[in-house]
Amino acid sequence: MADYAFPHRHLLGIEGLNRLDIETLLELGDRYVELNRSRVKHANVLAGQTLVNLFFENSTRTQGSFEIAGRRLGADVVTMPIATSSVKKGETLIDTAMTLNAMRPDLLVIRHGSSGAVKLLSRKVDCAVVNAGDGTHEHPTQALLDALTIRRRVGDISGMKIAICGDILHSRVARSNVACLNVLGAEVRLIAPRTLTPPGAAEWGAKVFTDMREGLKGCDVVMMLRLQQERMDGAYLPSAREFFHFWGLDEEKLSHANPGAFVMHPGPMNRGVEIESGIADHKTRSLITEQVEMGVAIRMAVLETLAKNAPEIGAPKAGAKR
Amino acid sequence: MTGRTAIYNARLLDPASGLDANGGILIENGLITDIGVGITKATTADVKIDAKGKALAPGLIDLRVKTGEPGAENKETLETAGDAAAAGGVTTFIVMPDTDPVLDSVALVDFIKRRADSVAKVKVLPTGGLTIDLDGAKMSEIGLIKQAGAAFFTNGDNPVEDAGVLRRAMSYAASFDVLVASRPDTPSLSKNTVMNAGAFAARLGLRGAPPEAEWIALERDLMLAETTGVRLLADCISTARSLAAVERAREAGVKVSCSVAAYSLFFNELDVGDYLTYCKVQPPFRIETDRMALIDGLKRGAIDAVVSAHDPQPTENKRLPIADASYGAVGLETLLSALLSIAIREDVPLLAALKPVTSGPADLLGLPQGRLAKGAPADLVLFDPAAPWACDRDDLSSRSKNSPFDGRKLEGRVLRTWVNGATVFERG
Repeated sequence: MADYAFPHRHLLGIEGLNRLDIETLLELGDRYVELNRSRVKHANVLAGQTLVNLFFENSTRTQGSFEIAGRRLGADVVTMPIATSSVKKGETLIDTAMTLNAMRPDLLVIRHGSSGAVKLLSRKVDCAVVNAGDGTHEHPTQALLDALTIRRRVGDISGMKIAICGDILHSRVARSNVACLNVLGAEVRLIAPRTLTPPGAAEWGAKVFTDMREGLKGCDVVMMLRLQQERMDGAYLPSAREFFHFWGLDEEKLSHANPGAFVMHPGPMNRGVEIESGIADHKTRSLITEQVEMGVAIRMAVLETLAKNAPEIGAPKAGAKR
Repeated sequence: MTGRTAIYNARLLDPASGLDANGGILIENGLITDIGVGITKATTADVKIDAKGKALAPGLIDLRVKTGEPGAENKETLETAGDAAAAGGVTTFIVMPDTDPVLDSVALVDFIKRRADSVAKVKVLPTGGLTIDLDGAKMSEIGLIKQAGAAFFTNGDNPVEDAGVLRRAMSYAASFDVLVASRPDTPSLSKNTVMNAGAFAARLGLRGAPPEAEWIALERDLMLAETTGVRLLADCISTARSLAAVERAREAGVKVSCSVAAYSLFFNELDVGDYLTYCKVQPPFRIETDRMALIDGLKRGAIDAVVSAHDPQPTENKRLPIADASYGAVGLETLLSALLSIAIREDVPLLAALKPVTSGPADLLGLPQGRLAKGAPADLVLFDPAAPWACDRDDLSSRSKNSPFDGRKLEGRVLRTWVNGATVFERG
């Protein structure tokens, strides 16, 4: 597999990746986990290359994770402070992209609040683009880091029963994870109140449940999703306490999953809303901090793989269509 | 309850099983323990009651009752509503959430259950408000309130106008397989109206509610029920076209049931006559063809529940020019008589008339009562199906006397009512 040529220029989503693509990234990720655990964490594979982080939505962990990943690979990392940038002055998204492109970065990591915005930008630039989350569409590096986390714990993901619980409707993490885990052969279950279950979710290749106890039965891994505060004001859900009562992960509900089932959460967590502290902090069952560690490794793998694939960038396209 | 009670020599009427035969039943520990067709004498029981050939049916279940408790106890309390129910042969009734404060929380639903248990002679189940304060904006804690014992969820007489809110509330409710009741109404068409819109209202010079107010909201509700998969109760439909819409949706697989107010089967718009404020109700009395279509639906078993739509209003809210008077009519005590009168006058089989006040609503809510069956609670009503009487509002047990049946002649009268085998009403 080491000589498999990853065939994609960008990483815009899990959709479109095959099993070999994903496993190639996971294996490289595995190697970077080892590097990251050693004293000297440098690999110079991206020396001389420029990585630009462009986060139109606030993020701490993903942005930091990409920054560290880029630096460990030896790239020059620039994080654009969008909140105070020309975007606020009314520049259009495409103009921002063209401006950045003219600075000739090699890798562009983008998070944007609108589904499809990252794909739109990728068409306007010459460098490789990594989707760090677009609206409620995809968050591919999260799915890859989750897969890496599970794989390192249980070995083969194929045949595992994995439940994804909570606000599926608004979750890009859920969409990417369903796609990724399906490709890897897991049995995926979605557990949510009907208001937070996307229409047609049953056709995603996942079994849909409203009753958490029923949905967790026989599961090896339970992935909880973050519930946005603004969903709990009576529109999608009546209250945080009702959500916790029926869909918050506590000892009792977790007891319906397989003994020793692992618990994951993409963070940041709402303790007492979607997950009880005792479980979030559980020494053997919670993989939540491990996910963060895997995040850096898998992002290193993604950045290296895409950088290798990048064509020589010539002169900027003169008068390129905006 | 100690010992065994036998009621014999009765005309047993059980809509659930289709039984209509002379016989008797045996009651032990509040439950029906035996049913015998042809039993005209009691032998082994400790208490023997000769029904003298009168009709014995399951006690009535009324899905739509308002009391004034909490917040307007001058209208009616759970206790006085319980008295009225017992006198009317109603052994279980469901209270609407339109109280002050609104029944939109676990604590209030729990309050109604406990309060009713201690003061009401009959069984009382609360509903839960579908939205907080019935504001039509934010859904209530449907899951927790269901666990607290709400029979179903409804916004009562405050229809949810925002289709987005209703869709999400229905969708959320479907997570718990709860029944959501919606009285179809479009306030922008029916606000400040007094009666049914049409030539008669025009002649009286009164603002009328057009039937479209009901049709538009009902069609919307049916579509949302279809897409969300919720179990919908189309509450108090009043027109031929509404019934047809419900039946069409039901045939298409939508989980919809419907209820009709007893007054919609008994009165038409002409009964508003001389500006009678007791006849100012929501939905209003409609035209005769609507009434006949609903009676036809009753005969065909298309109506799942007939309700009293009991809504007590004190004199000060009714002794006003009709435009200023409150909506609402009391109905608990006249529910059975109204149905029996209709059965006689419109040739509706007794079992068909009784089903939507017994096993029909029981099945909607998954209740064990509402049937003459071994193991079912001994909630029973003994009545004379043809006894004529004239309704006088001053004789009603309700604290409020706003009955449109006041002064009307009715056929069929309750003789005795039992809840869990204990007598709660007996006509002297």
